[in-house]
Amino acid sequence: MQDAVLAMLAKEPSHGYHLRARLQQSLGPLGASMNPGQIYVTLARLEKAGLVVCERADGLPERPDRKVYALTPAGQQRVAAWLTEVNWPKPDLAEFHLKLVAAAAARLADPVELVAAQRRELLRRLREVQQAALAEPAGSAAVLLLEGVVLRLQADLRWLAACERAWSKVDDEAEDA
Amino acid sequence: MGRIVLVVRLVLADVRRHKAQAVMLLVAVIAATATMALGLSLGGASQTLYEQTREATAGPDVVALVPDLGSPVAPVMTLLAEAPGVVAHNGPYRVVYATLTAHRVASLVVVHGVAEKPGVVNRPLVTSGHWVRAGGAVLERGFATALGARVGDHVTISGRSYPVVGIAVTAATSIFPWAPGIGPYGGPSDGGGLVWLTREDTRALASQGLPVTMALDLKLRDPDAAQTFIEAQHIATRVSFRTWQFMADQDTVMLRTTQPILVIGSWLLSFLAITGVAALAAGRAAEQTRRAGLLKAVGATPGLIAAVLLTEYLALALLGDALGLALARLAEPAIASPTASRIGGVGGPTGTVIVATTTLAVAVAVLSALRPTLRAVRTATVSALAGTTRRPRHRPWLTALSALLPTPLLLGVRLIARRPGRAVLHACSTAVTLIAITNLLTYYAEPRWGFAQHRGGWGPGLSGLPDMRADHDSRLLLAVTIALIALATVNTLTLTWTTAMEARANMAIARTLGATPAQISAGLSVAQLLPALPGAVAGVPLGILFYGQIITFPLFWIAAAALAILLATTALTAVPARWAARRPVAQTLSAETG
Amino acid sequence: MNVVNAAVRVHGLVKNHGRGQGRVRAVDEVDLEVPEGQTLAVMGPSGCGKSTLLHLLGGLERPSEGEVWLAGRRIDTLSERALARLRRRSVGFVFQAFHLVEELSAAENVELPALLAGRSRREARRRASLLLERVGLTGRARHLPSQLSGGQRQRIAIARALANEPLVVLADEPTGNLDTTATLDVLRIFEDLRSAGQTLVIVTHDERVAATADRLISMRDGMFVDDTRLAGTGTGWLGGLIGLEG
Repeated sequence: MQDAVLAMLAKEPSHGYHLRARLQQSLGPLGASMNPGQIYVTLARLEKAGLVVCERADGLPERPDRKVYALTPAGQQRVAAWLTEVNWPKPDLAEFHLKLVAAAAARLADPVELVAAQRRELLRRLREVQQAALAEPAGSAAVLLLEGVVLRLQADLRWLAACERAWSKVDDEAEDA
Repeated sequence: MGRIVLVVRLVLADVRRHKAQAVMLLVAVIAATATMALGLSLGGASQTLYEQTREATAGPDVVALVPDLGSPVAPVMTLLAEAPGVVAHNGPYRVVYATLTAHRVASLVVVHGVAEKPGVVNRPLVTSGHWVRAGGAVLERGFATALGARVGDHVTISGRSYPVVGIAVTAATSIFPWAPGIGPYGGPSDGGGLVWLTREDTRALASQGLPVTMALDLKLRDPDAAQTFIEAQHIATRVSFRTWQFMADQDTVMLRTTQPILVIGSWLLSFLAITGVAALAAGRAAEQTRRAGLLKAVGATPGLIAAVLLTEYLALALLGDALGLALARLAEPAIASPTASRIGGVGGPTGTVIVATTTLAVAVAVLSALRPTLRAVRTATVSALAGTTRRPRHRPWLTALSALLPTPLLLGVRLIARRPGRAVLHACSTAVTLIAITNLLTYYAEPRWGFAQHRGGWGPGLSGLPDMRADHDSRLLLAVTIALIALATVNTLTLTWTTAMEARANMAIARTLGATPAQISAGLSVAQLLPALPGAVAGVPLGILFYGQIITFPLFWIAAAALAILLATTALTAVPARWAARRPVAQTLSAETG
Repeated sequence: MNVVNAAVRVHGLVKNHGRGQGRVRAVDEVDLEVPEGQTLAVMGPSGCGKSTLLHLLGGLERPSEGEVWLAGRRIDTLSERALARLRRRSVGFVFQAFHLVEELSAAENVELPALLAGRSRREARRRASLLLERVGLTGRARHLPSQLSGGQRQRIAIARALANEPLVVLADEPTGNLDTTATLDVLRIFEDLRSAGQTLVIVTHDERVAATADRLISMRDGMFVDDTRLAGTGTGWLGGLIGLEG
């Protein structure tokens, strides 16, 4: 997230509260839980690392929200490097997969039941995201982000459906044997 | 209220979408109902014309004709003129059997010797020129029209020339060419025109030794009892009586063969109308069933759906009926009065005629719409929506048999196997066409004795009058046959097109398997030609059966017509078949699965 | 006890297709109650019997065994005519293939059920224009279905389904023929209906469509294998998805 804050300063120096507003606008309901102080903590860390400098605006020196932040040359380099990165979050499915294998092996639980429970949970999440997406005003930038979350969840649900088919088959074979 | 709006809206929208079908139904119904209305109105029409002429010319109730064979006629005439029940009379006057020539055309005529001032009974109505005067002749209008004679022309009657001073109509004789009533010396009549001359001119004519009959026109107290009056007369001398009812009836003889031509023609036209419209309706059955399914899904009752489907056909048929009746009304004067011997207008269709044609129109609509309607109403909503209704039946033996044939025949036979009902319709349509053509050819081939002809011929440089009745009938027969051929042509095109559209998926698959467009279009043509063959074979004997008696049977011409019909079928089917076969395969396949 | 009436209730429902050896049990002894105001999604692989179930609920097909109750009235014993009358009053259908009357304009299609129900032309027209506005197609009222996109056609079909303020709307794969954008338009309308308290049964294989419902039933081989309540279980999961330090 530090990289994102730096990149937002690349356009022009900005106030902390302004940065926060821009973040929230882009994230929509996903940024709802971001508390007001968080942005200043992040900016302080970046300043300490020499990536941003803080310039006091003229006039009211005692107000912290009158500080204007700008990128240092090191900060600019960091932004450039970030843009060319092709990192992607890892699909974290191994844990659930192992849960099913272990549950089946030790007969701790029915894997099909585990899949069903997981599916219900994902469907509830899907419903939540979807309602949030539909509630967004037209032209909101956050819709695209929510769409991404929806598609991710759909992909996960399809994987769960595949799991269910596979483990049901294992069950059937066990019964037949 | 809302439901009526809905039915009207759905019907209008469907008609707008399928204009060709609507037009075809309309035209077919107009042709059938107009023909039928004409056929049924003829009898009444000539009756009306006679009565109007009788009214305008103070027509006699009874005409008495006594051949002048030497014995005195005057006493008999006096007796009749004074008989009880007679209120007025005209004559007695001479009727001279003569020959008239004009414009190198000759005809038998009867010459009535009349007063220059007509009395109270039998006052012929002069329609052009003026009444008789010394040396001048007045021609009966029907005769004058057949002869092409006008006021101012000169005609030669048994060697003496007279100027035509007038043209008139009368109700005292039957229409041309039945004016003589009885022949010379009381014998049978060969027909002839009617000419009026003055008494003196007639006497001079008779003095040439020509046969003479004396005539007396009687007005009775009770015109309806004319027949009773005749039966009450007991006279030794042979007297021929003509009642006004008899003469009115004689007028319809002119139309005796016209009526069957029109009535039977209207049946055949209706049959073709049903065939064509049913083929079109069948082609749209799948679509209609789907439409019915979705109307059911939104809550339409089966009754409402049937109402929508039937209303469309019924409304068009009734519109066609009204137009057909109007057309018949326009054509009636020309067809119901082939001679100009009568005046006045025809009355228009009577209630009975309207009921008959409306029944016909409704029958056409119901018979062609019933099957698709019932199917649409009965099909379960879900399968109707899925469009999985009525797959053609599998006929293994036909399929196996066709495998032995060359590709176009194979495709053709399999297409027939898909929809055998349609093949039957096409065979019937061909048969009907041949029935009409057989009748037409046989009628033309029949020898005819012309009108008012001299038995010994007319001699060099002279010709007789044409046979107006035969001309009139053959014109009508030709018109009906042309209408039938036109409908049959449209039917053939429709049937081929419907078959091609229904089979397009199968044909596209056949093409992916290597059939050429030429083979496909040949197959489609074969599918129409094969049923046309038995239709043509059956049509000839049926046509002879319809004609009734055969005097001459132009076998060569009929065989040629049958062959021509088969060739025409091939040519007609080639057009839509070719068009359908040339559509790109991929487009067809994707349209089917999409 | 639950005081909300069941809009739809079925008991021991069985539907067989075909006969003899080839007989398939499309719906196998199913019990279901859909309270008024609930949106229910039915999911399952193709051929699991979910569409047949929907047809049975709307009286488009008759069950082989069991009872179907709609609006407190048993409908599986009704005549075809009575069923049609009931459908036009109480049921709105939305199909995958839209099934609009091709020769009628958008507005005329929407007026159709109201006219069928015997309402006046003016009333039908007034209602249709409201519904077209609701599905965002006021400007397309005079277009023929063939002049509209798939998504627009489906929105017209939904407006038509709502024309008589039906007790229940039954949707069979409503987004099956639609792309993502059109699907979102349709989902927005469904969400709108859900919040307005419209009883809605949607058969779908799209998780996304199913997720708009309050309740989800999974079907397999003609039977219910899962019945989940999706509504009212929000966890605030969404808000916690992103933290600045994450």
